[in-house]
Amino acid sequence: MEILGVLLRQRLRRDRYQLAIWIPGIGLLGLFSASAVATTFGDAAGRASILRLAIANPGLLMLRGLPQGYGLGPFVFFQIFAFLALLAGLMSTFLAVRHTRAEEESLRAELVFATLAGRTKPNVATLVEGVLANLLVGVAVAGGFMAGGLGVSGAVAGGAATAAVGVSFVGVGMLIAQSTSTSRGANGIAAAAVVLAYLVRGLGDALGTPSPDGVHMSAAWPSWFSPIGWAQQVQAFNANSYAPLGLNLTLAAVCAAAVFALASRRDSGASIVPGRAGRPEAPARLSGTFGLAWRLQWLSILGWCVGGLATGWLAGALGNLAQQAAGSNTTVTSALQSMVAARNLSLAELLISAMFAIIGVLAAACATQTVMRLRQEEIVGSAEVILATPVSRVRWLLDYLVLGTIATVLVLLSGALASSVGAAVSGTDLQAVGDSFSAAAAQLPAALIYLAVLALLYVLLPDIAVAAGWSLLGAGVFLGIFGALVGLPQWMRNISPFTHTPVAVAGTTDWSGGVWMLGIAAVALVVAVAGMRRRSLRPS
Amino acid sequence: MSELIEAIGLQKRFGPVRALDGLDLSVGAGEVHGFLGPNGAGKSTTLRILLGLARPDGGLLSVLGLNPWDNAVQLHRRIAYIPGDVSLWPNLSGGETIDLISRLRGGTRDKAAYAGRKARLIEAFEFDPSKKGRSYSKGNRQKVALIAAFATPAQLFILDEPTSGLDPIMEAVFNQEIGRVAANGATVLLSSHILSEVEALCGKVSIIRSGRTVETGTLAQLRHLTRNEVSFLAGGLTAADLAGIPGAHDLVVAHGRAMFTVDGEQVSAMLPTLARLKVLGLAITPPSLEELFLRQYGDELVADGVARVS
Repeated sequence: MEILGVLLRQRLRRDRYQLAIWIPGIGLLGLFSASAVATTFGDAAGRASILRLAIANPGLLMLRGLPQGYGLGPFVFFQIFAFLALLAGLMSTFLAVRHTRAEEESLRAELVFATLAGRTKPNVATLVEGVLANLLVGVAVAGGFMAGGLGVSGAVAGGAATAAVGVSFVGVGMLIAQSTSTSRGANGIAAAAVVLAYLVRGLGDALGTPSPDGVHMSAAWPSWFSPIGWAQQVQAFNANSYAPLGLNLTLAAVCAAAVFALASRRDSGASIVPGRAGRPEAPARLSGTFGLAWRLQWLSILGWCVGGLATGWLAGALGNLAQQAAGSNTTVTSALQSMVAARNLSLAELLISAMFAIIGVLAAACATQTVMRLRQEEIVGSAEVILATPVSRVRWLLDYLVLGTIATVLVLLSGALASSVGAAVSGTDLQAVGDSFSAAAAQLPAALIYLAVLALLYVLLPDIAVAAGWSLLGAGVFLGIFGALVGLPQWMRNISPFTHTPVAVAGTTDWSGGVWMLGIAAVALVVAVAGMRRRSLRPS
Repeated sequence: MSELIEAIGLQKRFGPVRALDGLDLSVGAGEVHGFLGPNGAGKSTTLRILLGLARPDGGLLSVLGLNPWDNAVQLHRRIAYIPGDVSLWPNLSGGETIDLISRLRGGTRDKAAYAGRKARLIEAFEFDPSKKGRSYSKGNRQKVALIAAFATPAQLFILDEPTSGLDPIMEAVFNQEIGRVAANGATVLLSSHILSEVEALCGKVSIIRSGRTVETGTLAQLRHLTRNEVSFLAGGLTAADLAGIPGAHDLVVAHGRAMFTVDGEQVSAMLPTLARLKVLGLAITPPSLEELFLRQYGDELVADGVARVS
């Protein structure tokens, strides 16, 4: 017990900053969503019309959730719960992998396994920490809902549902960590499992059966294959039924049992899926720093591109559906326009620009990851190996930035292509194809500003580059994408590059924001290169 | 400048810490030069400055006649480097990493010759090049760096504790490779704290401590500074009987043997006295590098509460 306490304290101490961002962040999202719904959709009639639109539009159901009436509480739960659950799931899988596979991979785990802790107690401590963290998430969400003016019993049910999703993904994350040989792989697969749970639930909701009143819906069978789908059945602010959460806890328990069974059988550091042998000789393309950068990162670039493809497909397919829905009901159009930051756009344009904003975020995240890799290479010492050969620091930096630019363009192209195909399949006119490509091109400046500014940050302040880089991306997304939704003032939203992304309005696009951002990116790049010329390598 | 590496008064600070505090180092062409110092003395920092990976805060420095900070790329065409802590890319095989570094160093232009050198080294170091970087042990990671360093000819080899993690057989292979490149006229700067290795390989040695050079010279010159140890069977002689030996210091008689130390240049002067005493089992041991080393750091050991060994 004493040992468990030591292990648990070590985990909590190590995670104190990350959890201090995740947990209040998820709670604040609940609060902002509740207060935004109260201000934007204050009247019941407006909420009812939005729900009728949503039920007619599988795409919206897929993104949001299952309509359960037009009361303020159920409407907030419909709007935001799937997002909250997605975030709690990601927090939980990252936590699970961080303390299990990542520790084994770095061989730090052996230091611990060789003490009285043995091989079992560290897993118990990780599980307990995950449950504790999710209890706090539940408290934060319930608190957020209550502070947003929603009822206590529904708020508690919503918090419990979010926490239960998180707990089930602690188990799933730990099980995946047992099976893979690297923490990078485990994190990728586990995050994909969370997103899959979100999508499967979305599919079930989209295929659900509406009730005759047009503002309630029951999910189709796919939702019952997703931990997020189960938790949605709590129907907070409505039924407040806790029974479905038994499924989440059962999943967590089954995963935990499997983890302890596997861990007691395998060697420390070994995995169920063994690593493959490599080739003894390098292929011709692995002959320079660019080839190396590509080799190290192509898999994650591919991941971002798949995200771009999926979002683009949704954009293309949704645009048409929305157009049809809007054609039949003009009040719906105005309601939806107030939902997305209202400009003088057609419904299809609104949806496409909103979806491409998400593709733009994916591209910026891909750029961020490429730049952060520079710092990781420097920390572990492999940068030193490269820079002790006839490769200059500037060349090394530029190769990563060229790769980052190419990767960004690839993500945006995937989005544009999928959107065009999606539009063609769902029968929109060919105009949409051109729109998709110009909407994708409009996202490039914001992504490039992240690439260049983070490169400058890496050169000047390497010690804080990784933490600050991802935080800047998160802040930019929050201010630029969600800022309008939660009613932040314009000057705050203007801080985010995403706010300045050019948007097509009635066929014409104001590119000035994009041009400015490209200019800033160019200046940052020049300063970064000049700084890199003068900078020592700093492994720690 | 005739010296291949010439550093005078190198300074390097990391915040408040003075990593290098006036370090001098001079390595001539063709030397195999040992670079000794305890952990944290500044060895790795010095080597990284020599490679132009870090910039000195003060002092004069030239490597192959150039300032390494401004001419790093040009110098790296002529330098092979083994870092102190070898870290590999987890998803690249050892063979791929060796090829990559060799290509970056320009060592693969003659493909057949490179393939031959690589195959010979893989064989000599008994290395499996098809495993992924993450699955190599410390010794095998070290082999990747060694093979990559030796597979491309270089004028200067800068090696930071190159045999850490190697077994004694592989250490012998390493010694052979150093002998081979030295015979071809290359210069080697070998940082180490394995004294037997330095003694076996290096003609000259620099000893540093707290970022400053405290001794430098050939092993013979350094030995000169330290006393030889003399011992023989006491055979009933007491310390009083032996008091007259010229130049003897720290005389003790214990466990049936008499032991004392004597300065290098006085060894021949005391031999007639020993002959008159008809001593048996005589052993005169020149100081080992270990003793040189301990002499330099002995006071530090005492300060740290460790018993003095010599």
